[in-house]
Amino acid sequence: MPQRTSLVRSLRTLAARRAALTAHNPRQIAVPMLTPILFALVIAPALKDALGGLHSSIDYTAFVAVGTVGLLVPLATTFAGLSVIVDRDSGAQRELLAAPVPRPLLVAGNLLVVLGLCALQIVVVIAAAALRGADFHIRASGVAWFVLAALLFVILMYGIAETLAARIHQQEEYIGATPVIAILPWFFAGALFPISALPGALTAFAKVLPLTHAMALMRYGLVDPKGTGLHDIWGMSNTTAEAWLSLAVVALFAAAFSALSVRAFSRAAVS
Amino acid sequence: MTTAVSVRQLKKTYPGGVEAVKGIDFDVYAGEVFGLLGPNGAGKSTTIGMLTTTVLPTSGTASLGGYDVVSRPLQARSMSSVVFQEAVVDKGLTGRANLQLHADLWGVRREHADQRVEELSALLGIDEIIDRSVGGYSGGQRRRLEIARALVSNPLVLFLDEPTVGLDPRIRQELLDVIALLRRRDDMTIVLTTHYLDEAQRLCDRVAIVHEGEIVALDTPTKLLARLGDQLLQLRVEGDVTVALAALGAHGVAAADAYVIGATLTVPLHDVSVGDALRAIDQAGLSASDISTRQPTLDDVYLRLTGASAAQAA
Repeated sequence: MPQRTSLVRSLRTLAARRAALTAHNPRQIAVPMLTPILFALVIAPALKDALGGLHSSIDYTAFVAVGTVGLLVPLATTFAGLSVIVDRDSGAQRELLAAPVPRPLLVAGNLLVVLGLCALQIVVVIAAAALRGADFHIRASGVAWFVLAALLFVILMYGIAETLAARIHQQEEYIGATPVIAILPWFFAGALFPISALPGALTAFAKVLPLTHAMALMRYGLVDPKGTGLHDIWGMSNTTAEAWLSLAVVALFAAAFSALSVRAFSRAAVS
Repeated sequence: MTTAVSVRQLKKTYPGGVEAVKGIDFDVYAGEVFGLLGPNGAGKSTTIGMLTTTVLPTSGTASLGGYDVVSRPLQARSMSSVVFQEAVVDKGLTGRANLQLHADLWGVRREHADQRVEELSALLGIDEIIDRSVGGYSGGQRRRLEIARALVSNPLVLFLDEPTVGLDPRIRQELLDVIALLRRRDDMTIVLTTHYLDEAQRLCDRVAIVHEGEIVALDTPTKLLARLGDQLLQLRVEGDVTVALAALGAHGVAAADAYVIGATLTVPLHDVSVGDALRAIDQAGLSASDISTRQPTLDDVYLRLTGASAAQAA
C-alpha cells in the first residue's frame, strides 16, 4: 500500500518532471532570449551611437540590457504558462491531479523550474551585453537588489501566466493574450528610456506598473547606483527607502498573483 | 467482506443544470472487479471523476478505503490509481520516467519502485521499450504503460475508465487478457467503466448498469442474464413496431422484459414458442423479417433496461 509522501519530496518530484519536459524542448529555453538579446546587442548600441545615449553617467547599452530583462521574463513565463495548457490538453496533468499531493504543489513545482530557467536566461543576456561592451556597476548590495527584484518579478509574471493558463481554455486564445501581457507593458515601463521622458499621463501610468518598479530596482542594482529610475517613480531623497518601497510593490503584486494562480489552478482542476 | 469503495446518494449537477449523476448508491468489495456500464454520457466518467477527486460531488458521499473523497481527498487519492479514457502521459519522457514519476508521487520507496517498474514492464510486455520516449509508442503500448504506471503504487483500488476505447480489436483483446491476468494475480479491486458490454461480461464480478445518471440494475452478470431466460427471439417488424410489441403483450407472448430498438423487436421467450410470437404479430396485421433466436447477452440486459419496453408500449 502506498504511503503519503512528504511535501518536499513531492515538490522535488514535480519540479524535476517539469525540468525534464522543459529540457526536452530547447526552444522554450532559447526563443524567449532572442528578442531581448537583439535589443541588448544590436538595437541599444545602435541607438546609443545614433542618439548619444542618456547624457548621464549611465551607460545606455547597460541601461537597455537590464531593461530587456523586463521583456525576457514575461516571455519566458508566458511560454511556461503555455506548457501548462499543453499539459492539460495532451500531457499528464490529470495523472498529477489524481496523485496524493496538494494541488498547489503542482504550481509551485512549475514555478521552481521557471525561476531556474529565467535565472539562466538573465545571466546569458547580461553576460552577452557585458561582452558587447555594456558598462555595469557590480557591487554586492547592488547584485542583491537585482536578484531580489528579478526573483519577485519572475514570481509575479509566472503567477499571471499560470492564472491565464487556468482560465483560458484554448492555446490560440492564450497566445493571443501574450502580447498584451508580456510585451505591451514593456514599452511603458521605461525599458528603452527613462519614464520621465514620457508624457505626464503616461508617466503616471508607468508608475503603477510593477514592471517599472522591478526594472528601476534591477537598474539600481547593476547600472544606476544613484537610483535615478527610483527617483522618477517616488521623487524622494532617500534612495534606499525608494528601493524598499519599489520592492514592496513588486512583492505585493507577486504575492497577490501567486495566490490567484494557485486558486485559479485548483478551481480549474476540479469540475 | 471488506468494502473498498462506498458510494451513497452521490449526485453531480454541472453548472447549467446538467444532472450527470442523480443520486447513486453502490459498494465495491475488496478484490472485486466492478463494472460501471452504460453509453457515452450515462455518468460513468463523472462518477469516476468524483471518486478520484477531480469532480466535486453536488451531494452525497463517497469513500475509498474508508476515506471520504471530499473531506480527506489526499488520503482517498493515496488509495487509488487511474487509467484514464484518453492518453494521459508525458510523451516527452521515457516510459520508465513516467512510471517513476507515479512511484515518487505515491510515495513508493525508490528500491521498491525500481523493482516494481521492472516487474510490471515485463508483465505488460513493455520491458523492451521502457527506456524509449513515450512519444514513439503505439496506442496499445501506451495503454500498457498507463496500466503499468497505475499498478506501480500497488493501489487498493484501480480505476479503469474505458480502458479499451479507441483501440483496434487485436490490442483490445490483448488488453482484456492483461486485465484478467492482473485480476487473477493481484486479487486487486478494480472499478471498470465501459460501454463494451462483452468486456464487463468477461471481466466483472458485478456490474452496475448506468442510464442517464442512475443505476438501473446492479448484480452479477450471471444473475442479470438469468432475468432474460435462456432464449431470445429477435425480429424486424415491417410496420409500427410498438403495435407489434403491444400485440405480443396482449397475447401473453411478451412480458415487460421485451424491448424495441428502432424496428427491431427482442422478446425473451418465457414458456412460449417462436410460432406463438409470429402468430401474434400476424394477427396484428404486421409482418416480420430477419427472424432469429439466440442466447441473451449483457447487451440485451442493457438494451432492455434502456429501450422501449412492452410495459411502456402497453
